Amino acid sequence: MKQTIRVISEKNLLTFVNALIHDGTYDVVGAKARRERFGFDTLTNAGELRLDHDVTIIPPKKYFLPQYEHLMKYSLEKPFQVQPIKEEKPRIIIGMHPYDIIALEQSDLVYLDSQQDTFYKKRRENTIIIGADIQKISERSFAASMKTNVASSGFDLLLTNIGRDYAITIGSEKGAALLQKYATTKGATAADIKKIKDVRDSVAKKYKRKVKLDKKDWPAALADNYNHALWEERSDVCMECSSCTMVCPTCYCYDVRDESALNLKEGQRIRTWDGCMLKDFTRIGSGEIFREDVKERYRHRFYRKGNYLPQRYGFIACVGCGRCGIACLPDIADPCDVFNELASFGKSDDTGRYFIKQTAEVADKGEIHVPRSATIRRIQKMTDTETLYEIELDDKKPLGHTPGQFIELSIFGIGEAPFGVSSPPSKSPLFELVVRDVGNVTKKLSQMNVGDKVGIRGPFGNGFDMKMLTNKNILFTSGGLGLVPMRSLIKYVLDPQHRKDYKNIVILYGATRPNKVMFVDEIEEWKKIENVDCQLTVDKCDDGQCWTGCIGLITTLFPKIDMKKFDAKNTIAVVVGPPIMYKFVIKCLQTMGVPDGNIVVSLERRMKCGVGKCGHCQINGIYTCKEGPVFVYKDIENLPEAFE
Amino acid sequence: MKQKPRVAVFDFADCEGCELEIADLEEELLDLIDIVDIVSFREVMKEHSDTYDIAIIEGSIMRPMDEQRLLRIRSKAKILVALGSCAAIGGVNKIRNQWMPDDVMKEVYGETNLKGNELFNVFRTKALNEVVPVDYYIHGCPIDRDDFKRIITALAIGKKPEIIRYPVCVECKKNENVCQFELGRFCLGPITRAGCKAICPTHNSPCDGCRGLVKKAEADCVKEVLERYHLTYEDIRRRCTMYNYGREECQVDEE
Repeated sequence: MKQTIRVISEKNLLTFVNALIHDGTYDVVGAKARRERFGFDTLTNAGELRLDHDVTIIPPKKYFLPQYEHLMKYSLEKPFQVQPIKEEKPRIIIGMHPYDIIALEQSDLVYLDSQQDTFYKKRRENTIIIGADIQKISERSFAASMKTNVASSGFDLLLTNIGRDYAITIGSEKGAALLQKYATTKGATAADIKKIKDVRDSVAKKYKRKVKLDKKDWPAALADNYNHALWEERSDVCMECSSCTMVCPTCYCYDVRDESALNLKEGQRIRTWDGCMLKDFTRIGSGEIFREDVKERYRHRFYRKGNYLPQRYGFIACVGCGRCGIACLPDIADPCDVFNELASFGKSDDTGRYFIKQTAEVADKGEIHVPRSATIRRIQKMTDTETLYEIELDDKKPLGHTPGQFIELSIFGIGEAPFGVSSPPSKSPLFELVVRDVGNVTKKLSQMNVGDKVGIRGPFGNGFDMKMLTNKNILFTSGGLGLVPMRSLIKYVLDPQHRKDYKNIVILYGATRPNKVMFVDEIEEWKKIENVDCQLTVDKCDDGQCWTGCIGLITTLFPKIDMKKFDAKNTIAVVVGPPIMYKFVIKCLQTMGVPDGNIVVSLERRMKCGVGKCGHCQINGIYTCKEGPVFVYKDIENLPEAFE
Repeated sequence: MKQKPRVAVFDFADCEGCELEIADLEEELLDLIDIVDIVSFREVMKEHSDTYDIAIIEGSIMRPMDEQRLLRIRSKAKILVALGSCAAIGGVNKIRNQWMPDDVMKEVYGETNLKGNELFNVFRTKALNEVVPVDYYIHGCPIDRDDFKRIITALAIGKKPEIIRYPVCVECKKNENVCQFELGRFCLGPITRAGCKAICPTHNSPCDGCRGLVKKAEADCVKEVLERYHLTYEDIRRRCTMYNYGREECQVDEE
């Protein structure tokens, strides 16, 4: 819609706001004094509204992605019962500054992508935004140099103080209707319109803090300085409190957990703000932490703002509000300072070094938070620590996965955890998981019985590129639990229906001990298939254990491959195993002459949401849950965080 | 139905305030006794049993006789939970560790001859984990009831309660408080374990560190902040005396 401008007197503006409050239809929220500072809060009368605020302590993102939010109610007494949470009153937010409006438009791109967040969407649709041009500049803000001091869209109405009156820029039909119903305004004269520009220009000139490096140059400046000493120097005094991310309008990572009522009859799944500066942000079930050093986390925050998200969405995820600069006690969080320091360093045009573009858009599969009900149909102990679960979706529809994809399994009251699917694609609603007892979800699962209910979300991730494997030799290398997702692919490839599509097949599998070898019977069957070479090894055979096969690490199996039958250039090597394994196996493959573009790996991270939103599974610029978990080695060999 | 876990609540040197927080669950107390069997809880019931799975213990260990009693409890309990600051970190009871036990006795009881009286035979205050292994901690002075519910429901449901390793600032920012430092006050929030919903700064009182420290007081970042706000190491040491005496250099990370 074409923006039009009206003018309202200060008195009529107060009447307008009071009319909105007294009408009762809306929760009318505005910038209010909050002790020595300001915050958005519900207005009880128009007099509380402070359009002259400099900046609020935390941004209005709290109204779209609350600090603490109930996603669903569950019952622990009934086998599988989830209820949505009741709807909220429509809301009007008055006094949002342009940088916050721009930040909100950015999070729209994230939360309203092909896998829409229903909660965010509902709030977004239910909220009318009455922005306000900046009157007083926060001392830490550098918005003018970020060109975020003025917003040209993203609001329903926008107020500009032009002396005794306010100009109202009408940005939407909703805004126009609101004005029509509740306010007394008059048309704007050419002089009024000029005043808007003058006011904005004069405010822009008053900014004391300026970022010297133009924001379009941020990605390149970061790409070139990944290993610069500045990250360590500055993070040496980091409190690791994540205050910087909490107060940031463009930080939107979250955590999800279950909170059961004391009666253990019901509970709620809640979503809370999380912060990538916190050490536990990347911790996975087995206890591993992927960005353990504070320097890595500190650097990650700036790369997310200035490189990773810009590569993905095309916006710089900093709007120069200066809130982090105010909140950070040792004063190391302010991007203005960091990028001014970076401005003096070298830069190139190579911006995409830490990011790979997803080839296929992820399809909209509807509601992203609520799991589907499913029933455990079969439990088979594989080893003393690993158990196979056959699960059936209660809607009797197939899971619809491709090999290499993962699902999120929910046990209400305990939580959710990601698992690779171990069975090949199938038309039946049954699928298999193999689970090692390491965390809360897996422990609870180990106590469950056939007939018990679980929740399933997914499948998520890209899975193996089946076209890439067609008419190729395939060399499977798996260590430990790596065989679990790989089995889905092996079984697919060895299926008599598909076998002809692939050439020679070698399967290498290493376990730590003889009693940790899984799928013993299936492996025996695989060995019988023509042109399939299957080699096993165990790291060590303890006293009293029986093992007649090879002993040694997985790499000891490579010399056993019959190279006459194996043209390395025409081979795709698929590698799945514990993080430590990749470095060594990839070296072996390279020695054999397998090109980096033919090596396929599957990586494990903390996949929490599965839909590229919560931020936990990030490896530099990529999301393991979207661009992965399957990667072509060549694409990620330069990602510093991939194989640490 | 599966047998409910048997829970016993015990106390040592404390004010019983944390136990009172449990009693203050009021009607929710009925839910609690629905999911666990409370077999001993001196503050709220007459009955007592020596057979229990989970021992919840409030208070610090002050005397050899306390130590013996705690060892006995530990030998009977499958899971031992420290309740509140006194049990978890020593808390206010450790303030007296600034002086020798004999001097403290003399200061309080004068020349009264208490030699040979077991009740008055005190050593330097210890937290529970200085005597026996502790499985889980419910921090705070007093504990936060929601934190208690979170941990007790986790134990009843058979899940490992999440350990909070981040500082109070996280919760304080979520509450949109003006930072106590900005108000010219000295707050221990940046180095204190969260889980209290930042209750003190939210009610305009700086954090005193009752949930224990997640960072050493001598860490570089702390020095940097002290310097920026014209404070000294002596200032932070003194602030830590209230709940963390002798602990400002030991950052406990419970696994």
